[in-house]
Amino acid sequence: MTLKTSNQPILEVLNISKRFDMTQALSNVSLKMYPGEIHALVGENGAGKSTLIKILTGVQQADQGELRLSGAPVKISNSQEAQTYGIAAIYQEPLLFPDLDVAENIFISHQDHGFFVHWDKMYKEAEKILSGLGVRIDVHNSASGLTLAAQQAVEIAKAISLNVRVLIMDEPTASLSDHEVKQLFRTARQLKQEKNVAILFISHRLEEVFEIADRITVLRDGKHISTRPLSTVTKESLVREMVGRDVDQFYATRKTRAVGKRICSVKNLSKESTFYDISFDLHVGEILGFAGLVGSSRTDVGLAMFGINPADSGSIELDDNIVEINSPQTAKKLGVAYMTEDRHQLGLAMPMSVTSNITLASLNQYLNRYGIIKREKEGKTAKEFKNRLQIKTPSLEQEVGTLSGGNQQKVMFSKWLNTKPKIIILDEPTRGIDVGAKAEVHAMIHELAEKGLSIICISSDLPEVLAMSDRILIMREGRQMGILASREATQESVLSLAMGQKIGIS
Amino acid sequence: MSIILNKLKSWEGFLSLILISVILVNSLNSESFLSIDNQINLFELSVEKIIVALIMVFIILNAEIDLSVASMMGLSACALGWLVDSGTPMILALGLCLLIGAMGGAFNGYWITVFKLPSLVVTLAMLIGFRGLARVLVEDRSIRVFPSWFEALGQQPILGPIPLSIIIFLGLLILAVIILKFTGFGRYVYFIGINQNVALYSGINVSRVKMILFTASGIISALAGILFAARLGAVRGDMGLSFELDIITMVLLGGVSIFGGSGSINGVILSILIVLYLRNGMSLSNITGHIQTGVIGGLLILSVLIPNLQKMIHDFLNQRRKQLQ
Repeated sequence: MTLKTSNQPILEVLNISKRFDMTQALSNVSLKMYPGEIHALVGENGAGKSTLIKILTGVQQADQGELRLSGAPVKISNSQEAQTYGIAAIYQEPLLFPDLDVAENIFISHQDHGFFVHWDKMYKEAEKILSGLGVRIDVHNSASGLTLAAQQAVEIAKAISLNVRVLIMDEPTASLSDHEVKQLFRTARQLKQEKNVAILFISHRLEEVFEIADRITVLRDGKHISTRPLSTVTKESLVREMVGRDVDQFYATRKTRAVGKRICSVKNLSKESTFYDISFDLHVGEILGFAGLVGSSRTDVGLAMFGINPADSGSIELDDNIVEINSPQTAKKLGVAYMTEDRHQLGLAMPMSVTSNITLASLNQYLNRYGIIKREKEGKTAKEFKNRLQIKTPSLEQEVGTLSGGNQQKVMFSKWLNTKPKIIILDEPTRGIDVGAKAEVHAMIHELAEKGLSIICISSDLPEVLAMSDRILIMREGRQMGILASREATQESVLSLAMGQKIGIS
Repeated sequence: MSIILNKLKSWEGFLSLILISVILVNSLNSESFLSIDNQINLFELSVEKIIVALIMVFIILNAEIDLSVASMMGLSACALGWLVDSGTPMILALGLCLLIGAMGGAFNGYWITVFKLPSLVVTLAMLIGFRGLARVLVEDRSIRVFPSWFEALGQQPILGPIPLSIIIFLGLLILAVIILKFTGFGRYVYFIGINQNVALYSGINVSRVKMILFTASGIISALAGILFAARLGAVRGDMGLSFELDIITMVLLGGVSIFGGSGSINGVILSILIVLYLRNGMSLSNITGHIQTGVIGGLLILSVLIPNLQKMIHDFLNQRRKQLQ
């Protein structure tokens, strides 16, 4: 623990409370951040992390309590004020202006004032900051062409140009590849050592927390549970504090089970400049994992099988019949379901009720011959799924957008299970949900496979794929690198395939 | 009590308040306002617009817009005059007009669903296109060729004091409420309006829903055009000119979000009543049409402003309350 601290904390959160209508989002939370430390903030969804961030960045105001900056009480009533105090945040999805170039984005809120923009100075300055971070991005490029990782680097550069003292990183790694995560961490350490910035790091991936944090604070149900230096924390103790109970294992143990007969056979599926020659069989009750780095086009294969972006060539056989899946409606009829990785934009209609989201994909079952919805039958189904998947919601008429991430995920599961699929493609089924909900989702997937559902599970979480799957198909840049049976697969073997060392296809 | 207060805070509650005050002022101003004759008359004068407003609710809920409705009204009315003038039997001519409506609406839908063009652009083009066709058909003439039974249908009451057009409106109103509130189709309309991609990824045939809506919009506009022709007994190339603005105003004022996905028929009924009563009240007080239009425009601006003001005041009071504590 090399905290370059003066004992003066840069930011103090003192007894902050915040209430929304029925829920106490934060109660009496206190937190100290010192210059030059990386402070991880962990907790399940709904623990109050987002609310705390919103209060620190001035998006929301606390009901009670105090914020102190270098010892002086401050009131942050909007995000501009947060900026002037040197508090900045970067998010999983960076918020850049796509049509402006990199330098303009960096200086968007504080261009050298005066009547004319000093372009030369601006570009030089931007280059200096970025090269200082060890990032190579052409400052004249427009932001729209950048990878997510590069966009985050631009956001960090923006924060630096604003003389950031406290940098909040809110799940910055969720959409990054391993390599990009390493780069981000290098940048974070550099900020801490060279600029003495205090970094508040939020992530659901505990491995990352252990890699980068100096101290770890746990929140649970809006309360501060503990703040400890990394050396006194173990993974088990951390998880125990987060969920408030013992979690025996991260992942349900996979029982070796016999898979049934072949239900689906995909041969040489290709789509111009996206993916090529994907071939695999899928059996009844089998979980086939799709592993690969970001950009390996795993999702595109899923979308092709679901008919959203159909493939150009190759064939899909279901129950020994060659089928043409050219729309999601056809896929649904054939018993193929696809659960998206993007709950917010593609998965759920957030302002609509839990019930109507659950029955959305299977509404035909609930119509009488005049097209009128049978509300009673619909409500019964929703209730069944609420009990079966233990969806936590005050009422089934509740807007689905108000539920926590894990519960939203369960609503999406319900929606697709209710179409009674034979094959379900799960795209990142545990992205953005907390440890407890993750374990529940894993158990659920296993149970579904036990009952004979065939599952394709696309996941960037390598330990998850390894623990869940019967076999693992590994992709790299649109090409199939191999299929491994899970007993012969290890993190190393999957990763080496995903990174480009081809070995024999089984 | 708190239930009533909550209702008042909603948009519909706000519209109800305005409606009640308009009714009060009108009936104090003029004894004849509440008479059945005046009520029927004021509805009859705008019945074509409010019929089209019903389908416009669906289109805007779906996060689309149809600017071509008034031009389609004009086209169908002119086509009717032209067809009858060139010797087509009346019944056949009526059928052909509805067919023109269906084809015109489907044409809009085709560009919007197949080529994914924005409905604003497509229907703006057809606003010009349909109107152009109407003017080509009748040129500068006013065609007055309809059989007397047709004119009678448009002008005489058929059920007590109520004319056919109002009965058609009431029938369509009930149908619209049922479809929107109780059917699967209505549910799809809302979901597509909230997030088209969620609907698409749920295996809903989004294009089909949109195609049905635009086709229906064409048919109903054509029907409104026919009723208009029957009421006036004659057709001209400029019939229904710029009606689309009044129609869209009624729908937006009724609380249907221009971004789609939220709003209800209830609010639109209230806003229709407000607009009609305001116009009628001003007419009874001899205020000219131009000023009437100005007042309605002001109302639309208020309808956007007031919810924002309300929120500002609410937030301000809350903050004060907290500080006092």
